[in-house]
Amino acid sequence: MAVPARRRAADVVAFAFASLATVFGLFWLFWILWTTLSQGAAALTPALFMEMTPPPGASGGLINAFYGSAAMILLAIVIGTPIGVAAGTYLAEQGRYTRLAATVSFINDILLSAPSIVIGLFIYEVVVRSMGHFSGYAGALALAMILLPIVVRTTEESLRLVPDQMREAGFALGLPRWRVTSRVLYRAAQSAIVTGVLLAVARIAGETAPLLFTALNNQFWSTSLNGPLANVPVVIFQYAMSPYDEWHTLAWAGAFVLTSFVLLLNLAVRVVARKGTRS
Amino acid sequence: MNETAPGFSLRSPREAAPDPEAKIEIRDLDFYYGKSPALKNVSFGVPANAVTSIIGPSGCGKSTLLRTINRIFELYPEQRATGEIIIDGANVLERGYPLSDLRRLVGMVFQKPTPFASSIRSNVGFALNYYDRLSKSETNDRIEDALKQAALWDEVKDKLNHSALSLSGGQQQRLCIARAIAVQPEVLLLDEATSALDPISTAKIEELIDELRERFTIVIVTHNMQQAARVSQSTAFFHLGELIEFGNTSDLFTNPREQRTRDYITGRYG
Repeated sequence: MAVPARRRAADVVAFAFASLATVFGLFWLFWILWTTLSQGAAALTPALFMEMTPPPGASGGLINAFYGSAAMILLAIVIGTPIGVAAGTYLAEQGRYTRLAATVSFINDILLSAPSIVIGLFIYEVVVRSMGHFSGYAGALALAMILLPIVVRTTEESLRLVPDQMREAGFALGLPRWRVTSRVLYRAAQSAIVTGVLLAVARIAGETAPLLFTALNNQFWSTSLNGPLANVPVVIFQYAMSPYDEWHTLAWAGAFVLTSFVLLLNLAVRVVARKGTRS
Repeated sequence: MNETAPGFSLRSPREAAPDPEAKIEIRDLDFYYGKSPALKNVSFGVPANAVTSIIGPSGCGKSTLLRTINRIFELYPEQRATGEIIIDGANVLERGYPLSDLRRLVGMVFQKPTPFASSIRSNVGFALNYYDRLSKSETNDRIEDALKQAALWDEVKDKLNHSALSLSGGQQQRLCIARAIAVQPEVLLLDEATSALDPISTAKIEELIDELRERFTIVIVTHNMQQAARVSQSTAFFHLGELIEFGNTSDLFTNPREQRTRDYITGRYG
């Protein structure tokens, strides 16, 4: 059957706009990747992952910054995920019809959109000032506070997406709520929850503002979370602001690694999500 | 007393009196969604070891009645039942009646198959180790037994560790029946359990229901009157939350006492 010319024309126009929009978005992404790669290429050597941040004029790598970032992100996940999943579960399950849950959910939304620098300042005031010094712990806490509301939200949303009939099927067997939640609902929602955590990690991996006031930075090798800790975003920030060319190149290389890491995390999210829909 | 439906002797709900052969005795049951009533003063006895079907137009309260028997409605605030549902001499609607005991006694299968995202084996054994401390071989025996009773064993015996989600819709529904009977209930509630299935799967499940009534008291909700006529021994017709007529299935379909029943089964509304 012939499609009327008008509808065909509309289709062509819509398709052209959609394609243009896609190209527009991808264009910037590739430009960013290309710029970071070409500018940082000189520093993208094994030394980047094996040597310390150098003093001006010397060569070096970013190993201490990578270590610090990894340590703080891991700690943030360890702190934020269980609390976030538990809170999200409360909001979607036990508290579902209560006013308390509605209130908590609303406050969580506020936390979700709180500027990260505010969270950095908050941790500075509460943790750094009372401890008397900057520390990796404070940095991890600040990151955890950014990760937490994302995990709460995605857990709540993904549990709500599990059909009521699945809940009823579990309860109809006479099982108590915790067992239905842990063995029926979490299984049904697990890929969505993991996706939420991964997206939250991608988000905190590049956060600079909350770390400026908490972990600060460290030119030296330190594995202690109880003191100032080097980390990728702040090193990029400081090196990019410096007048030294070697530092600029290292900053670009760090930016490239960070961007690639976030990109990889997003790819991982796709894989996990697809697995979830298939099973 | 009727041979096919041993549990009831009354045709009209208004004359309802305690029936010694009923497995489930429903008395003066009212149900509310918030303030709007969904069941009004329902009384009748569900005969033991027989299939009772609940029919009626959409919104007549038939699913609500089923959801009251195992108190699954209590998951939702604003839903409330008053009256009595007596099973084996105890009013299960009483606050103090333990929910896990009730739901062990009364299994339920839903409209859409609800396999859990795990293996076939763990689906059927899902609630077993919650109720009983069973050895591994006892657990496997119970799983095999339940799958055999649900007429699914031959199709899945070689792939018990495969995901339950890999089964067809009809198989999934029989898996849900197996999961419900694995905990050895005495009553089975089927809420439009075949309405999402193809005719062949439906026929299989109807056949299965007929076999299962020897061991269980079965209540099915169906909007398919042919199905009610095929599988059940007694039928209750509901309209707008009221029990209009309850009786022997063949009597109710061939010679209904109430005009509204006659109108419904002849297709004048529904």
